[in-house]
Amino acid sequence: MAAAGGKTYSFKVVLLGEGCVGKTSLVLRYCENKFNDKHITTLQASFLTKKLNITGKRVNLAIWDTAGQERFHALGPIYYRDSNGAILVYDVTDEDSFQKVKNWVKELRKMLGNEICLCIVGNKIDLEKDRHVSVEEAEGYAESVGAKHYHTSAKLNKGIEELFLDLCKRMMETAQAEERSRGNGASHTSTARRGVQIVDDESQAAMPAGGCCSSG
Amino acid sequence: MDSRGERRGFSLQQSDLMCKKGCGFYGNAVWQGFCSRCWRQETQCSQAKQIEDDRALAERLQREEEAAYASSRQEEHPPPQSSRTHSVPIVKRLFTSAPKTPARTDAGAPQTPLSRSTSLGRQPSADRDHVTQHFIDFLKPFQRPGYDIFKQCHAFVENIAHKKVAVRGEDFSDSVQDFYQNISENLQTNFKGSPDVMDEVERYVMGRLYEQLFCPDHTDDEKKDLVIQKRIRALHWVSIEMLCVPVDEQIPKVSDSVERAITDLIDLDSRKVPREKLACVTRCSKHIMTAIQGSKKAAASADDFLPTLVYIVLRANPPRLHSNIQYITRYSNPSRLMSGEDGYYFTNLCCAVAFIEKLDAQSLNLSHEDFQLYMSGASSPSGPKAASSGHSSQNGFREERRAAEPQRDTDLIEWSDGQELSVLGLLEEPPAHTHTSDTFTIDSDNIGGDSLPPPLQPQKFTG
Repeated sequence: MAAAGGKTYSFKVVLLGEGCVGKTSLVLRYCENKFNDKHITTLQASFLTKKLNITGKRVNLAIWDTAGQERFHALGPIYYRDSNGAILVYDVTDEDSFQKVKNWVKELRKMLGNEICLCIVGNKIDLEKDRHVSVEEAEGYAESVGAKHYHTSAKLNKGIEELFLDLCKRMMETAQAEERSRGNGASHTSTARRGVQIVDDESQAAMPAGGCCSSG
Repeated sequence: MDSRGERRGFSLQQSDLMCKKGCGFYGNAVWQGFCSRCWRQETQCSQAKQIEDDRALAERLQREEEAAYASSRQEEHPPPQSSRTHSVPIVKRLFTSAPKTPARTDAGAPQTPLSRSTSLGRQPSADRDHVTQHFIDFLKPFQRPGYDIFKQCHAFVENIAHKKVAVRGEDFSDSVQDFYQNISENLQTNFKGSPDVMDEVERYVMGRLYEQLFCPDHTDDEKKDLVIQKRIRALHWVSIEMLCVPVDEQIPKVSDSVERAITDLIDLDSRKVPREKLACVTRCSKHIMTAIQGSKKAAASADDFLPTLVYIVLRANPPRLHSNIQYITRYSNPSRLMSGEDGYYFTNLCCAVAFIEKLDAQSLNLSHEDFQLYMSGASSPSGPKAASSGHSSQNGFREERRAAEPQRDTDLIEWSDGQELSVLGLLEEPPAHTHTSDTFTIDSDNIGGDSLPPPLQPQKFTG
């Protein structure tokens, strides 16, 4: 469901991570440029969309927030089905949340293979002095699983634009590679299902009445 | 003696009161002297005749149109493109004359969800005619391409309806999805991919095929519906605190939103088109968001939303939930389901249902023993005590439901297996009498209360 008609890409990105790591702040900051704003205009921060223009191509980004509580963990597959990218957020001051990210990565790779672009995000770098997850460890791990690592602070609005822009570019590359491998005109057949034509009026309409028997 | 004298005062004979058909029941002037049963038969006959007439008219028009089309081809043997000029008046004629089939006003009038769901089986053809009519009206401005679309959709509907499509096990979802794919490719070239047309196509096709495709006989959808319904009923004791729902129902505005969310979720079952069903889910979700925002004074995140949705599903216990989810998954326009807001909220609903199905002691932070006790109905968590009985409406409503729930449960389990519509009616029926929260708490402590004598009836003392 990547490229829909011409040059517009539609991507679905899921946000995964434990509760309280700042998933919601991250996406609110990105889409609305707000943090802990008293003046709330957005009703919800669980489904947000953003339109981008990257190197002349239009990109529609749909960001799906997921419930981070442990008891909803088993529901993950329902959420990340058909997604093009996943943002795995942890809190740099919370070792546990990093472990959760590792679990998610394992699961995603197992279920979706390498189709999905993974971003591991260490949030809350404004609390650098309380850091419990070392930069080397996190970046090393990300590389070992083929994910990219980012440091962000939703509070100070650091690193967030870069994160999403980078992710979009990678998703576009993946989509383009997929199109190429499927040959030309892939954008149309990308969502095509095994196509047995069922409704075919034309065959009847195009057949002239008694055409097969008429001579000359 | 007195009564006899009074009888003479009426000029009516006993026989005048009886049904005109002589079936032995009493008749009623409202039903033109028939009894209710005979009246229904009469009206059904006349309705069926009306529908038959309409169909005959439509078929005649179709034949005329085809004949005219064929003759215009025979005369000149033009290539299909150039025949367009000739066929336009014919198309126009079909499109303009078709509306002359009497548009039934009753089918067009907005019906309440309740009457809709109960009359599902009763007037399908009137509804269908209306759907067709609407579709034709919509496509009329598009002239020739619009007519082509209509023909294509009509043929598809007929094929499915008469099961001409060869599929394994009567599962038409692939056929329908392939059809959507074909149509959308067609629209891309002829209509520049206008989403409106696609929506109308879905509305027409699914409006016509709803009876056949919703909760079909060959699946176990119906059984699963009942399983979920029983499961939700068995979970009636789950409280807002156990789920950690960030909603404060003491705030009137919030509880109002909660009620609206519940109503919208129940409304899901009364819609016929997948898109409209999805819209119900989205409306429900929006109300939930409002409720959360009203309680927390912050934008609602998924961490807040999903538990609240679970709570709403538990409270609403929407009829035929499984069937509805299956129907949407199978027959919705895929682009709507995969992306966009509707898709997101629908996914959350699926998650909530999956959660409810698998819910255990751990997911409610309860001990295993407590969970078993509550599930078996042997005990119930100490609910809001008498102190909260002052907060009338919303708490009262909850208590009432809880108190009424177990009784309804046993009734249904013994009786049901299959009677979906009656179950519906029962669910939507308000509980006959209200329990105050006091009686509820007293009763709940009374384990084994079955052996007690029936409760005392209040007695009136005059004087």
